[in-house]
Amino acid sequence: MMTLHPDEFTGETFSATAAQDAVEIDVANVSIVFDTRNGQVVAVDRVSFDVKRGEFVCLLGPSGCGKSTLLNAIAGFERPFEGQVRVLGKAVTAPGPDRGMVFQQPLLFPWKSVRSNIAHGPIMLGKSRAEAASIADGLIDMIGLTRFADAYPHTLSGGMQQRVSIARALANRPGILLMDEPFGALDAQTRVIMQENLLRLWSEFGTTIVFVTHDIEEAIFLADRVLIMSASPGQILRTVEIRLPRPRSLDLLLEPKFMLIKKECFELIKQESLVAFEQMGSR
Amino acid sequence: MPMTEEQRARLYTLVAILSLPTFFVLWEIVSRSHIVNIVLFPPPTVVAVALWEWIKSGQFASDLLASATRVTAGFVLGAAAGIFFGILTGQFPLFASLFGPIFHILRPIPPIAFVPIVILWFGLSEAGKVFLVFWGVFFTVWLSTHLGVQKVDRGLIRAAQTLGTPQHRLLSEIIFFGALPYIVVGLRTAVSISFYTLVAAELAGAFAGIVYRIEIAQQNMQTGQVMGGLVALGLLSFLADRGFAAISQRMVWWR
Repeated sequence: MMTLHPDEFTGETFSATAAQDAVEIDVANVSIVFDTRNGQVVAVDRVSFDVKRGEFVCLLGPSGCGKSTLLNAIAGFERPFEGQVRVLGKAVTAPGPDRGMVFQQPLLFPWKSVRSNIAHGPIMLGKSRAEAASIADGLIDMIGLTRFADAYPHTLSGGMQQRVSIARALANRPGILLMDEPFGALDAQTRVIMQENLLRLWSEFGTTIVFVTHDIEEAIFLADRVLIMSASPGQILRTVEIRLPRPRSLDLLLEPKFMLIKKECFELIKQESLVAFEQMGSR
Repeated sequence: MPMTEEQRARLYTLVAILSLPTFFVLWEIVSRSHIVNIVLFPPPTVVAVALWEWIKSGQFASDLLASATRVTAGFVLGAAAGIFFGILTGQFPLFASLFGPIFHILRPIPPIAFVPIVILWFGLSEAGKVFLVFWGVFFTVWLSTHLGVQKVDRGLIRAAQTLGTPQHRLLSEIIFFGALPYIVVGLRTAVSISFYTLVAAELAGAFAGIVYRIEIAQQNMQTGQVMGGLVALGLLSFLADRGFAAISQRMVWWR
């Protein structure tokens, strides 16, 4: 399990100027409970972990294990039933621009062009229209959509829309990027290219990333650390450190050491998936 | 021999071109054939002459101006109020609870039924006529805005929040534009409603206006003028609808 315990840092004295190894996100004993017609359901059950500055962490688990719920708690959309999420020592109570988010759907503003979508965040944070547009144009070049700067979202393919969505989230230069199965709706070829591009952007921006996925290969390829979650109630079953060298390219997917890690994770996930499947059937 | 696609298309176009002239020619023949009373059912040539006299006398321009002013004023006021209250009730449950029941009771009453009480309140003033049009437009626009606001993808609002959009700017930055396609549909429906209510308002008593002219002509047994008035009203309403359709395409420019 984790070497750092959340209690080693006292939230109040912890500052943004801390060292490279500083804890950026601190999830402390968080439980999230939903009210349903059949009573209360525990979606996340006493989960604790932390994420260091600049780290890439994947939350991996079967559908319905509460991984998206947990991500929403970091984003500030869900309030923990017990426990607390702290970002840079401060308790999370609402969404904010320090935590950019990319959703499974691109959720671009349909009435704004690609440039205006990306410029939206900087404008909201008080940048001038010209400044925001130049930030947007820089990002548009980085995601290779220069020709589409003035296009409206519905004219773009799903993969292109999701690239814009990532650029939009990065435009505020957030310390943290939260990603909720962002490539889940894309076809397999597009997905692997998107993964490689994401790693490139991550190394350029130095953003801390928490990435939710149910795809084992995706999690291992991207992450420094994979947190494997168990089916309901959502708990962290195991943490797997991925010590594969960076920069990583797609060739890595075929290397024996990658396969080995994948096999290990697969065995763990398989049991959990079966449990989850059984539970769904019995409900 | 069976027709090709192209021949069939040409045939349909030809029929469409001949449709109106055939109608007018048949109408002329029937009117002049003594089958019907020519005074009550004048031929299109008589209607055209009546229309021409109307325009020449200068009354048409003042009637058109009077009607257009009423319908525009009522529409703009009704649309503005409808959008305002629609965003309020669509976004804030408290306002939905406060205004929803009242609006839902008033909405099903046909606006024309308010003519008598509007005369009591406003007399035969312009304000009363504008009020009737306003009343007809308001509920349609309110309801479509209300529904539009509620149908805005909550994901878009979440995305905006993570981008630092402050709570008080969500309405103007996200929710209004998200609801705009629905608002535009409501506005377009309201265009035809505004003409229905205009008719009621002018029939109730006016001193100028296209429908007022129709009524005067009826009292003088000028059937040609009555029909000319109907043609003018139809044309005006048609142009308003088409004009609005063109504008509405620009209002949802991203589609």
